[in-house]
Amino acid sequence: MLKAYLIKRVLMAIPTLFILLTIIFLIMRVLPGNPVAAIVGTKAPPEVIQSVTRRLGLDQPYHIQYINYLSNLLRGDLGRSMIWGRRPVIDEIMDHFPATLELSISAFIVSVLIGIITGTEASRRFRSKLDQVFRFYGIVTYSLFIPWLGIMLQLIFSVYLKLLPVGGRIDPFMEPQRITGLYLLDSILTLNIPSFFNALSHLILPSITLGVYISGVFTRTVRSNMLEVLRRDFITAARARGIPENIVIYRHALKNAFIPILTMMGLQFALLLAGAVLTETTFSWPGMGTFLLERIMYRDYTTVQGTVVFIALLIVSISLLVDVMYAYLDPRIRFR
Amino acid sequence: MPGMKKVYLVILLVVIIAAAIGLGYYWYQQVYVKPREVIILGTIDKITVLDPAKAYDFFTWEVLNNIGEGLLKYKPGTTELVPGLAESYEVSEDGRVYTFKLRKGLKFTDGTPLDAEVVKWSIERQMHLNLDPSWLVTAFVEKVEVIDKYTVAFHLKRPIAYFPALVATVPYFPVSPKAYPWDEAKDSTVGIGPYKVVKWVRDVELRLEVNPDYYGPKPKTKYFIIKFYKDATALKMALEAGEIDIAWRELLPTDIIALKKGGKFNVIDAPSPYIRYIVLRCNQPPFDDVRLRRAIAAAVDRDRICEKVFKGLVTPLYSMVPMGMWSHIDAFKDEYGERNLELARKLLREAGFSEDNKFKIELWYTPTHYGTTEADVAALIKESLEETGMIEVELKSAEWATYAAEYIAKGVMPIFLLGWYPDYIDPDNYLTPFLHSEHCGHLGVFYNNSEVDELLEEAMVKPTIEERQERYEEVQRILARDAPLIPLFQGKLFLVCKKNIRGVVLDPVMLLRYYLIYKS
Repeated sequence: MLKAYLIKRVLMAIPTLFILLTIIFLIMRVLPGNPVAAIVGTKAPPEVIQSVTRRLGLDQPYHIQYINYLSNLLRGDLGRSMIWGRRPVIDEIMDHFPATLELSISAFIVSVLIGIITGTEASRRFRSKLDQVFRFYGIVTYSLFIPWLGIMLQLIFSVYLKLLPVGGRIDPFMEPQRITGLYLLDSILTLNIPSFFNALSHLILPSITLGVYISGVFTRTVRSNMLEVLRRDFITAARARGIPENIVIYRHALKNAFIPILTMMGLQFALLLAGAVLTETTFSWPGMGTFLLERIMYRDYTTVQGTVVFIALLIVSISLLVDVMYAYLDPRIRFR
Repeated sequence: MPGMKKVYLVILLVVIIAAAIGLGYYWYQQVYVKPREVIILGTIDKITVLDPAKAYDFFTWEVLNNIGEGLLKYKPGTTELVPGLAESYEVSEDGRVYTFKLRKGLKFTDGTPLDAEVVKWSIERQMHLNLDPSWLVTAFVEKVEVIDKYTVAFHLKRPIAYFPALVATVPYFPVSPKAYPWDEAKDSTVGIGPYKVVKWVRDVELRLEVNPDYYGPKPKTKYFIIKFYKDATALKMALEAGEIDIAWRELLPTDIIALKKGGKFNVIDAPSPYIRYIVLRCNQPPFDDVRLRRAIAAAVDRDRICEKVFKGLVTPLYSMVPMGMWSHIDAFKDEYGERNLELARKLLREAGFSEDNKFKIELWYTPTHYGTTEADVAALIKESLEETGMIEVELKSAEWATYAAEYIAKGVMPIFLLGWYPDYIDPDNYLTPFLHSEHCGHLGVFYNNSEVDELLEEAMVKPTIEERQERYEEVQRILARDAPLIPLFQGKLFLVCKKNIRGVVLDPVMLLRYYLIYKS
């Protein structure tokens, strides 16, 4: 049954991807701006413009361009950048994705830890002052303007206390030998301890900024799910048996409240992987968000398309994974 | 009691982890000592492409001037041209042939020797690709001839008094044929200058190291690193936190003033020949009507822009030729005064507009290329024009790639903001590209005045400064009368650095020489 469920989910993902790719393909061609002009400049003679247009395949009708792109995609070719040396798009993505992955994982950990603890404690102390504080926290954090929060943290910890860096991923000369592109992991794998702490120090502020921002959603979701579960009979029964309250809350109640939270966690993580432009800008973090934004501004069609496809694949994969975990945790799902 | 044991265990674990983290952090602080031979410069500017055939922006030219060099170069702190990769040159009697003798034994960082064939190849590649900066070559050079292994001759289309200044510009830089393809522009870190590139991660870091094969004096600092920040606030904080030694291009005016007052850093400033102006498209309505162009010129309030947006850090400009450059006259001030709303209203009425029938225009600007203050500049121009009571301005913007590569050349924008950093230090560079009918279309002006064309062509070839000055002054007077362009303000260069930084030279060339900078 689980296998059938998985197959069904995979098959549903395919049309989703195609629809997304088509929408992006059309939007890029409808927007003003010309990648040929961006490459050859304003003074190129007509024959040069024609030659570059032909080379990029932009002289073809739109449906031919689309078919060519799809067939390349099926061969795993995301194309080449239209500007700056025509590097393969996948190489351009791999220059930036590890930074985004590292930030996403750490921000996610921060947000989940804060969200689960505050949401659980708020539900445990329903209608108390602490509950009100955490509910307020949940609303305020999601309304925060990320650059403001980031700048405040930079001012306090970087400028005044000089404890942590203002921005970037790592200091010059401190990069570990590249294995995965994730600096923390690479420095552990190469036993480069100074590099590990240098990378970690750069990761702290952007992770807290982004993590706090999205933790509000988790706080509210955990709280409402926990309140519902805590009203159930099996919780009353557990308490009646004398099980310590912490075990009742964190082992029994939270587990049962976790399934919808898991779905939300998966979606949030997937969105993080698409890049966090505001955080990346504030902390000069060389991630996917600012990379994609820049390539949109330069009308680098192939890079934008390739990057969006990559992100779409990631999001679809994570959604699949969440669905699988969901079905694994709750057997009732498989039989629906 | 089992419960209590667990609590103690947890506390112990937390203490051990915290101690481990603390010790590790302490160790890393001891290990990571920033080498003295490193200077880190922070900027929010960007490198576009490291190819002299395509790069046409200030910051990329600056980098290329530190990792490459021309046959001639400027002596730091002056506008005096001195030998570069060429040890000498001669000019033919008719002024049309410049023969350069190259220094012997030079090579690029990929091992390719520099000789006359390489120079010829580089210039011909520039002409073949014909990208944005290529006009600096193709407008003047007919062909390049190899005389012998280390002698190369440039044959010009006509005698040009300022050709040596052109040769010092990036489009004339020799490049290694192994590093650059013939057929397209491409990033390459191969050069022949005082520094070589050891690491480049676009928009993250550019790491330069002393080039041991450079013929001239070695740079004073072994490593020069450029860190790219995404906004001016982060740049300022990086300086205050001690992460960078120099903040360059560019801090916000309010931050510059605050840092100056704070006294913890050196704020170095110098007059700059970079200018900002309004462009009016002259070959189509509405600005084919000179009365409307003159009305805009009379109504614009330069002082307000300089004070409100830039806090007095820039200066109102009344000509396209910057102040401090020979031949500059305050032509627009002579014509309109500092501002003349009555004249603007009179001209608008003559053109058929009134308070009930307002002159509606779209004023275009680009939001980030000239810094984050650009939207404020546009807003203040709108405000000042609307004070006539007879103009209605709608603000529109486009990102630089679209603005420059498409909208300007196609004449999509009837009135728009632009800036100019000089390609070469000569008044010709501030007038010919904008006013000569053969060239001004590339900058969206589309102005056609045969008298101006003739004056500019004469000034190009006249041998004495006095003869050239006379013509450039007349061109400026015609420019003010016809107003196809409206100069707004002239900038200043600001560099903020730690107190122990020395060797910073800001001069009219505006290109920072990293190789002169060191820590005391």
